Amino acid sequence: MITTENLCKRYGKTDAVRDLNLDVRAGTVFGFVGENGAGKTTTLSILATLMLPTSGRAFVGAAEVTTDPAAVRRMIGYMPDVFGVYDDLSVREYLAFYGTAYGVTAALIEQRTKELLNMVSLEEKADDYVNALSRGMQQRLGLARCLMHDPPVLILDEPASGLDPRSRIEMREIIKGLRQRGKTVLISSHILPELADMCDEIGIIKRGALVACASVEVVTARANGHRQICVEVLEGGLAMADTLARHHFVSDVLTCDETRVDLLFAGTERDQAELILDLTAAGYQLKTFREVGGNLEDLFLHLTSEEQAAEQTASALAGSAAGQMA
Amino acid sequence: MLVDAIRHRLGWWMDNPLLRKELRQRMRSGRTVLALSLYLFIIGAVAFVFMYVNVQGQTLLLQPTRTADLFTFLSYLQLAMISFVTPGIASGVISGERERQTLTVLLTTPLSPASIIFTKFVTSISFLLLLIVMTLPLYSIVFLFGGVVPSQVLAVFGLQIVTLGAIASVSIFWSTWLRRTGWSTVFSYATVGVFFLGLAVAGYLSDNIANHSPDQGVWGMVSGICYSLNPIYMQASLEASLGFASPVFHQSIVSSVFSVVQSHDLSSTESWLSFLYLYMGGSALLLVSCIWRLRPGTFAVLRKRLVRWLLR
Ligand SMILES: Nc1ncnc2c1ncn2[C@@H]1O[C@H](COP(=O)(O)OP(=O)(O)OP(=O)(O)O)[C@@H](O)[C@H]1O
Ligand SMILES: [Mg+2]
Repeated sequence: MITTENLCKRYGKTDAVRDLNLDVRAGTVFGFVGENGAGKTTTLSILATLMLPTSGRAFVGAAEVTTDPAAVRRMIGYMPDVFGVYDDLSVREYLAFYGTAYGVTAALIEQRTKELLNMVSLEEKADDYVNALSRGMQQRLGLARCLMHDPPVLILDEPASGLDPRSRIEMREIIKGLRQRGKTVLISSHILPELADMCDEIGIIKRGALVACASVEVVTARANGHRQICVEVLEGGLAMADTLARHHFVSDVLTCDETRVDLLFAGTERDQAELILDLTAAGYQLKTFREVGGNLEDLFLHLTSEEQAAEQTASALAGSAAGQMA
Repeated sequence: MLVDAIRHRLGWWMDNPLLRKELRQRMRSGRTVLALSLYLFIIGAVAFVFMYVNVQGQTLLLQPTRTADLFTFLSYLQLAMISFVTPGIASGVISGERERQTLTVLLTTPLSPASIIFTKFVTSISFLLLLIVMTLPLYSIVFLFGGVVPSQVLAVFGLQIVTLGAIASVSIFWSTWLRRTGWSTVFSYATVGVFFLGLAVAGYLSDNIANHSPDQGVWGMVSGICYSLNPIYMQASLEASLGFASPVFHQSIVSSVFSVVQSHDLSSTESWLSFLYLYMGGSALLLVSCIWRLRPGTFAVLRKRLVRWLLR
């Protein structure tokens, strides 16, 4: 449903997006993950017809974003990472405005307004002014706005950014509901765990290039078998890293120095307890031994098969070589 | 069929969703009502005082030429108001959307850049158009006492509306091409200043040079062009040709404007038409450039071309 072919975007000297090849199948939710400045917003704005790519092509359905932007606009609902609302308009009028902008009939607008406000739990706010809503409410209203013309494709740029944990969970539930309605969703975030339970597929972008792409089952299955553990000792961390690397349940040592070792652990909790005993018996003075979460991306990158990464690099190289030849 | 299609398109332009929303936002606020009432009150008071002083309370003494003076006075008040208020309204229409971060979403809807700019133009002039229409009943007092006929009033209003459109276009131009509303406002007022005051000064200087120079004809022409691009002088020329010789404004700025108009022979159909064509054409060009600017990629392409051209 959404495809890009060697998409590139350059701002002056910085390559914001480099040879990006995406393929989001119809009816799936695709999570687009990358740290700040990775090029997520740039990619999504190109897909939303707000920006022209420097080279390469992008399609939504059969429509190409640069040659047929009007068709693309009708097919997508786009939610920017930051957006404002108009003063002096009520929630109902706000939604009606965007509905009529897409040529939705008055009767349908009324019906959808009701449905969507119910979906994003803003029914009681229907007659309040939009600028009087809280940030989280505005964010949910923005999502409802994207759905006024019932587009088959949704492009959501960090829809949960700036929200408190509870609102994030609400937002996640709403997006899960969208998948049930058969929408194709491209959603970006800089935190992988947040996307894990609502996406079908995950793509990781780093400095403008797609470095990994896999179905979410692969990601979570692999990630669940492994836990990242941080061990801090008073001294002798490097020696301990050697011992650990040979340990049966340690699948990899990620980083190490004299006082701290980060490792991937594949065993059970009992195995983990035994490892602590072993280390103490070997004379290491453990300061902490704890599981660290949150950095699922690194874990994922680490775990996604080497050949896939190699393949990506190879195709990127081939792409740039072809580019140079042309 | 074709007619229906055309009527449908036209109808959409005159009644599109953005226009409805904008007008609703603008006209709903209490400030609008207050401003309209205040303006009407001031104009009404001015008209009353003007007439009262002129006749010393004896209405029967009112002479038709006096009403012509009143009309001249009011028309200049209105022109001044147009030139002060329009940039304030129009210089934030696009940059304001940019700053409030509502422009991106607007540009991803099927509303084309052309319809967005057109709508912004209509809403920018709507407030002042409403004001002008609202003052029409007041002008009917002027008709009542004779001295001015409706077609004359309409001619002057037509000129003012074209001027209004031009100021709105200039302000929208700056609002679209500059990122900040602050700068856009400054540039809009500056542009109005150049056309209203700058051209008057330039015309005056050229006139003086013409008086002491062997190239009298050339400088005389320059000053004529300066004056004929200035709405103040064009309005005066229109009023002068309608027969308003103003004894009341004797030795005031207004009378000097009138004398310049007479000495440069600006009261001709050609000079009004060229003023109208130039202003309307210029406005259209500015608005087209705004439409172009709102299309994605235009700016990048322009910059690339500029860099390439500079490096050559
Ligand atoms: N208008 C611009 N002009 C110049 N460089 C830009 C512009 N917009 C983005 N960039 C650069 O392009 C790169 C990608 O930016 P982008 O906004 O796409 O990142 P992102 O993945 O959305 O990051 P974030 O998580 O912070 O939103 C960054 O290095 C950024 O500095
Ligand atoms: Mg971003």
